[in-house]
Amino acid sequence: MIWRIDPTSGAPVYLQLVSQVHVALARGDLTPGERLPSARELAESLELNMHTVLHAYQQLRDDGVIELRRGRGAVVVAGTAHGRDHVRTTLAAYAAAARDAGLSPEAAVALLKEEMLR
Amino acid sequence: MTRTPFPTAPADVSWRPHARRVALWSGVAGLVLVLGGALVALSWRSELPSTVASHWGSDGHPNGFSSLGTYVAVLVVTGVLCVAGFSAICWFWGHAAMTRRMVGASSVWIGAFLAVITVGSLWNQRGLTDAAHASDHGGVVALAILVPLVPAVVAALLVPGDPRIAATAPVRVDAARTPLAPSERAVWLRRVRGGPGLVVGVVAIAVTAAAAVLTHLWPLLVVPVLLTALLASFTEFEVRVDASGLHVRSLLGWPRTFVPADEVLAASTTTVNAFAEFGGWGWRVGRGGRIGIVPRSGEALLVERTGGRSLVVTVDDAATGAALLNTLADRAR
Repeated sequence: MIWRIDPTSGAPVYLQLVSQVHVALARGDLTPGERLPSARELAESLELNMHTVLHAYQQLRDDGVIELRRGRGAVVVAGTAHGRDHVRTTLAAYAAAARDAGLSPEAAVALLKEEMLR
Repeated sequence: MTRTPFPTAPADVSWRPHARRVALWSGVAGLVLVLGGALVALSWRSELPSTVASHWGSDGHPNGFSSLGTYVAVLVVTGVLCVAGFSAICWFWGHAAMTRRMVGASSVWIGAFLAVITVGSLWNQRGLTDAAHASDHGGVVALAILVPLVPAVVAALLVPGDPRIAATAPVRVDAARTPLAPSERAVWLRRVRGGPGLVVGVVAIAVTAAAAVLTHLWPLLVVPVLLTALLASFTEFEVRVDASGLHVRSLLGWPRTFVPADEVLAASTTTVNAFAEFGGWGWRVGRGGRIGIVPRSGEALLVERTGGRSLVVTVDDAATGAALLNTLADRAR
């Protein structure tokens, strides 16, 4: 998968990493059992402090998305794919409805966020 | 031959002097070793039986005999053909340092292997009147496989790595890009597991191990042991595209290769037929000196590089990697 961060975006970098894993899982780019890159490697490639990456991995572990195992690194937990297909089809319907209503992508995302934080 | 969707640039031949130098010196080194072994063998002419054992059966006893001259000539001709073949590969397809290293190591190894075989097998027959009493050959073969690995590694290390040739032209405009904000950083990571080559490897290990056990030629167990080490390092690779360029690395750390971002002319996707283009699976040299990291056939990332070099890696989702590499190569200019 592709990992991207923008240090100037205002969002904490570790959260940018966390949300990308969530998105990759939702899109099926990451599958249960798959290993995430080692924290050191990801930190090196993105020119980050390793603690930033470790922070993101700990957050993902607390979210129940990955397991951190000694010697095996960060592994995507089985079962996290549950219900995702349903979310994707519903989301496609939502996107179509938003387009029909003439909503901008920004407005559609804002509405979705609002709904989820309710 | 892999077709690229891009018009081909005029051929870059800056690799030629490097390739020719290695083709020549490694060829000479291989020949000197073979001929040296032959000369030592011929110097023992008076001490050897009139016909020497030239082939050993599975029971460890010789079952083929020939005159000393014929025996030595066969080994020398084998050596000359192998060394000439390796040098030709380097001469015509030695675009990449990896190819030149493989050739340097192979020529020296085969030369030393044949020299040890020649000298070792005849050493045991000195003073014999009947070559049928020549002793077990397994130890000599094991020695002939192992000992030459040392000079072969030295030869590989003597071959200089790829010279740094930063591209002068921008990345081709028609190559795919990943939209990336100027302040954004990105990395693409992908694992590649060994494909059909692993099956071939496992079969080869099983066959050589069974052969050594069934014939009781225990020293020949070095062959499956070496093959196992080799197979382990070819089991899984990681492909990484980041700001520094493209890295392909075995999970064991070796073998690995690196294409700096500023040497990338263009990255694209292609479909590889490992057998047709590279003659098999693994790390290979294909037509046009292209380096192939091809554990399987199918979708692959193709990187055209300065100095007339190119590299192809079979990996899923290659389009994402190619587009990101082009974008990061733009930045490296």
